[in-house]
Amino acid sequence: MRVLIIDDEKLARDRLRELLNEIGGHTIVGEAMNGNEAVERTMELNPDVLLMDIRMPGMDGLEAAMHLMGMENPPSVIFTTAYDQHALNAFEVNAVDYLLKPIRKDRLASALEKAHKLTLKQLRDINEAQDQPSARTHISVHLRGNIRLVPIQDILYFMADSKYVTVRTAAEEHLIEDSLVNLEKEFGEKMFLRIHRNALVATGFIKGIEKSSSGTWQVSLKGLDKKLDVSRRHAASVRRWART
Amino acid sequence: MQLDRRHITSVIKRLTAQVDVLLTRIEERVTGKLVAHDNAVYDLEDSGFLPNFCNGWTIFNVAVIAEMLAIVIALVSPQMPISQTMLGNVFLISLFIQWIALSNAAALCLTRKQLNRLSNLRAIAMSYCLMLCITWVVGEAALWVLWLAHVTSSPNPEWNAYFHLQNLSVAAIVDALALRYFFARHQLKQRTKSEAQAKIQALRTRIRPHFLFNTMNIIASLTRSSPAQAETAIENMADLFRTMLSDEENLVPVKNEVAIAQKYLDIESLRLDNRLNVDWEIGKFPRKAVMPVLTLQPLLESAIQHGIEPLTEGGRIRVRLWEEDGKIIINVTAPAPRTKARIQQHDTDTALDNVRQRLESYYGKLAKLETNEEQGQLTVSLSLPIRGENP
Repeated sequence: MRVLIIDDEKLARDRLRELLNEIGGHTIVGEAMNGNEAVERTMELNPDVLLMDIRMPGMDGLEAAMHLMGMENPPSVIFTTAYDQHALNAFEVNAVDYLLKPIRKDRLASALEKAHKLTLKQLRDINEAQDQPSARTHISVHLRGNIRLVPIQDILYFMADSKYVTVRTAAEEHLIEDSLVNLEKEFGEKMFLRIHRNALVATGFIKGIEKSSSGTWQVSLKGLDKKLDVSRRHAASVRRWART
Repeated sequence: MQLDRRHITSVIKRLTAQVDVLLTRIEERVTGKLVAHDNAVYDLEDSGFLPNFCNGWTIFNVAVIAEMLAIVIALVSPQMPISQTMLGNVFLISLFIQWIALSNAAALCLTRKQLNRLSNLRAIAMSYCLMLCITWVVGEAALWVLWLAHVTSSPNPEWNAYFHLQNLSVAAIVDALALRYFFARHQLKQRTKSEAQAKIQALRTRIRPHFLFNTMNIIASLTRSSPAQAETAIENMADLFRTMLSDEENLVPVKNEVAIAQKYLDIESLRLDNRLNVDWEIGKFPRKAVMPVLTLQPLLESAIQHGIEPLTEGGRIRVRLWEEDGKIIINVTAPAPRTKARIQQHDTDTALDNVRQRLESYYGKLAKLETNEEQGQLTVSLSLPIRGENP
């Protein structure tokens, strides 16, 4: 099988590399040091299976795996971890492969033999079971079978229409399949503010809240010329946010 | 060389397996899967104070105590000491008391689940009332039996009332004593349990399992590529764990504490590779100065956990130590990334709070631990009065 190794510790990657060589029959197509790199390398190298650490700086292993689910033909994922008491129960429950560090050769070999594809639901369940379920650091956008990662901190607003949600950054617009309710729940009030039934705005980008000539409230954002309408239902909560 | 390497690997594997087993055991102990000595009387699962009366051993105990009570009552009743009538009395009194005691046990056995769900005060009140009611019912039943057996011929309301009053007074005292005993036992049990939990918690904060197993993995990797480095890492781990596992809370020479901290950082830099950079600036300090063991190492661990690990590029930790106006000053500066680590801020606080508490127990108000965040850098500064200059 074509294997991609992902771990932030160099010596941990070395160990996997050596064990894989001893087991034989597998090709190591590359290495990555964090979730972002893992997503990039996977698209570039198209491996069959990822050996991926869960805790990594930047984007962690679980999030990377979730983004990869957007691929047309995602690779199998075997997670490696030193110690994650709560998550491990969830791994068992959801029948997701994992290896405990220090990694043993026989376990690695049998995990590779039965490696299978994951589903997004499995990954979400595991994330929920973690000590601190974490919000994604990126939103993944699918472009012609490719995955583009948009950092959360670059996003100005999410705007929903009938089927899709538009993700707006200073430079671009993307469509994703998600719901504002989910996004609001995941990222919480600190990062995004609901101003309309169909709009969630990044609090960090809010420049001002003003009244338009027609008497409705509008939010202006840094780096964006157009203004976004605040619905009457959300006007009170938006102004309350502005005061604090 | 080949043999050596294999030997080290197997030793590490065995060690890891043992630590794994140990951690699981400790956890089982705490969560109550393994129950201490007298699980015959108490289930640790439920938190109520009433013992399980549906249990042969408990019922036997109840019967023995009831019998002793019967003998005491017979002995103090105003009759000829040790006579024929007295033996008859003991028999009758025993019969009556056993009847009450066993009915009580049966009632508590049936209602225990409901009672244990209540708050302690309510459960005590309810079970007390229940037992008194049963005593009255059994007393009334006894009167009926006596009447039916023609021992008493005609109903005698005055005597009946006196009989009940006597029964209930004795029951009130005995039941109160019994409940008091159950409650005290329960409290003792709870205290032992929470003490055990606190101990595990303390050990957990000292030894982070994540650090332990990651390092084991790294050492396993090094046994192949660089056995000499693996050897040093094992020696460093051994020293660090010896200090961490030590029961004694001691003041140690400052230079020893610095040495342990350096060994810890050596291990971490194997793991984090070039992501971890450390600058040491050790100034002058009295050679005999002492400080509480494991005060510096937790500060560094927290700096790595929250300042270095979350950064893809890693960062620099600066440790400065010097003497100033009769005090030892230690500053640890590390990046304070605004990423996910922010969410985990409360962890940093626990590590620092632990150190703070320990300092207070040694020095009272004389020691200080302060944090200061500036330009994305978090500085923890520690100031300790110098001790141990004139031993």
